[in-house]
Amino acid sequence: MMDRYTKLQIVGIYACLAIFLTFILLPFFEMFMASLRPLEHLFRSPYQFWSDDFSFDAYKQMWVTVPLLGRYIFNSIYISFMVTGLTMIFVVPAAYAFARLQFPFKNATLGIFLGVNMFTGAVLLIPLYRVLRTLGLLNTYWAMIVPGVAFLIPTGIWLLRSYLEKIPRELEEAAFVDGASRLYTLRRVVLPLATPGLIVVGVAVFIGAYAQQFLFAITFNQTRELQPLPAGLYEFIGYQSVTWNEMMAAALVGVLPVMIIFLFLQKYLVAGLTAGAVKE
Amino acid sequence: MATLDLNAISKSFGSAKVLHDISLAIEDKEFVVFVGPSGCGKSTLLRIIAGLEEATSGLIIIGGEDVSNAHPVDRGISMVFQSYALYPHLSVYENIAFPLRVQKLDAADMDSRVQKAAAILQLTDKLQLKPGQLSGGQRQRVAIGRSIVRNPKVFLFDEPLSNLDAALRGDMRVELSQLHRELDATMVYVTHDQVEAMTMADRIVVLNGGRVEQFGTPMELYHHPATKFVASFIGQPNMNLIPASVAGVDASGVMVELDGGHRMALPVASSTVSMGDKVEVGIRPEHVNMGDSGLDISVNVLERLGGTSITYGTIGNGTRFCAALPGDAAIEEGRNLTLCVAPENCHVFDANGDVLRRQAAPEMVA
Repeated sequence: MMDRYTKLQIVGIYACLAIFLTFILLPFFEMFMASLRPLEHLFRSPYQFWSDDFSFDAYKQMWVTVPLLGRYIFNSIYISFMVTGLTMIFVVPAAYAFARLQFPFKNATLGIFLGVNMFTGAVLLIPLYRVLRTLGLLNTYWAMIVPGVAFLIPTGIWLLRSYLEKIPRELEEAAFVDGASRLYTLRRVVLPLATPGLIVVGVAVFIGAYAQQFLFAITFNQTRELQPLPAGLYEFIGYQSVTWNEMMAAALVGVLPVMIIFLFLQKYLVAGLTAGAVKE
Repeated sequence: MATLDLNAISKSFGSAKVLHDISLAIEDKEFVVFVGPSGCGKSTLLRIIAGLEEATSGLIIIGGEDVSNAHPVDRGISMVFQSYALYPHLSVYENIAFPLRVQKLDAADMDSRVQKAAAILQLTDKLQLKPGQLSGGQRQRVAIGRSIVRNPKVFLFDEPLSNLDAALRGDMRVELSQLHRELDATMVYVTHDQVEAMTMADRIVVLNGGRVEQFGTPMELYHHPATKFVASFIGQPNMNLIPASVAGVDASGVMVELDGGHRMALPVASSTVSMGDKVEVGIRPEHVNMGDSGLDISVNVLERLGGTSITYGTIGNGTRFCAALPGDAAIEEGRNLTLCVAPENCHVFDANGDVLRRQAAPEMVA
């Protein structure tokens, strides 16, 4: 057996995992702790890790402090879903073409896509602003969706292409011999088999869309009603004080729907659908 | 059903030429096997017939119609792949029905065709399962089922049994032969296994290095191999090839002196050789008997299979020799043994590897 470890190795593995997870999860934990405390206690010195005045008041108060909070959460999710959907529409045929078809400059194009990935959106904000102004898209949802899609397509193509390449070519040849067109084969054979890959790419794009919308929102959108949550959180920063506890509560609530979706999708990420396709 | 004619098919991948001017005429309802070592171009040739690969030059004619540039479906062929190429997300029923769904056949017609194919292949009670739930042999049958629902003119098989274990392979061989009789179809079958070729084929095409070495019935290939390659490829264990020189030539045959000095007068066509030429004498292991005078062999390894004893040894100056002797023959490893061979059972190949035709061997009716 390849995966048999000694006790010592297991302890080591868990120790490394614990350090890693602490690093990742501690901010969330601290967010949660901050959201439970009254504002004045957050600045208490010395810092108290545990106190007996925890309450969920911030979770009620935040809707009053920022009346549009629900709208911001909705916007965030709406923009991310739109970006993911549009990106997948472009990525699926493109990735399939890169995986299976032969055409001039195929590798060069892939290289360029990778190169585009090296630029963050921030570098291109000013040109993008001009483009969006010319198209009349500023201060609309599209101002946050279109650049999001553009920046996520290259990643999506690279991810999905490598997945599609793993699907046995003979399956497509069999369909071809039986008279199926490329599109029919894509729809009936390739995409059903690529479902785990599609979900992985979809999730990656969704996370990307969620993360990058802040930048596009504060640059390309002045309409309050269209702001996504990361931009909306700014409203917790008042003239006199910042209500940190409410901001943390709002951030956690905003992330919650996304986390729930991933809990459900997680089982698909590990599903091996190709079992029995080709004898190993 | 239809005839299949290949007319001067050549194929190059870049500068590498993998098929050289292959012309074959395959009869209606014939079971033809392409056999050869890996890399001989047999699979490429099959893929060209299927339309998955384009020939660099040459014509493919099925049922009298030139289909060289036609889509696979319009050629009237169907193909069974080495890996089965079943769709893992579809049930057995949907896998078999796939070509009919592509054709947009109406539901009743489709169902009757799928049920008929399933009945032929004994899959009726497996139709709702997924391919992953089937055994190797059953998956193979599903792949065949998918190929027969379309009623193609020509069936193509690309090493369909190579993924099965030995016992199952034997069973499937019999099933495929029966299927060929039931369907009365033209079938082209690619394999590297000469046993599959010998047992199933009406005629065998032996390919080597992208060229046809010989095209004939199994027994024709066995008794009258055209070249040294065919001779050593067909037959189990392989034919022994012993270096020899021509010691005399007359109308009745050739006198050869084998490595080690043993002389034999062999009744073969003698017009193309002369005194002193280097030749090779081919002797099949099953054509030798233990005797008092003849070839002296020192036995190295003995394999007792029960019915026969396969004896490996050397003759003359270290030429390896294999003999299939009776199961309980009194042989021991490390001992010497004298074997006799009937001259009419010997094959002679010239320096180019071409055969000198045997005059005494059974004539084969074409």
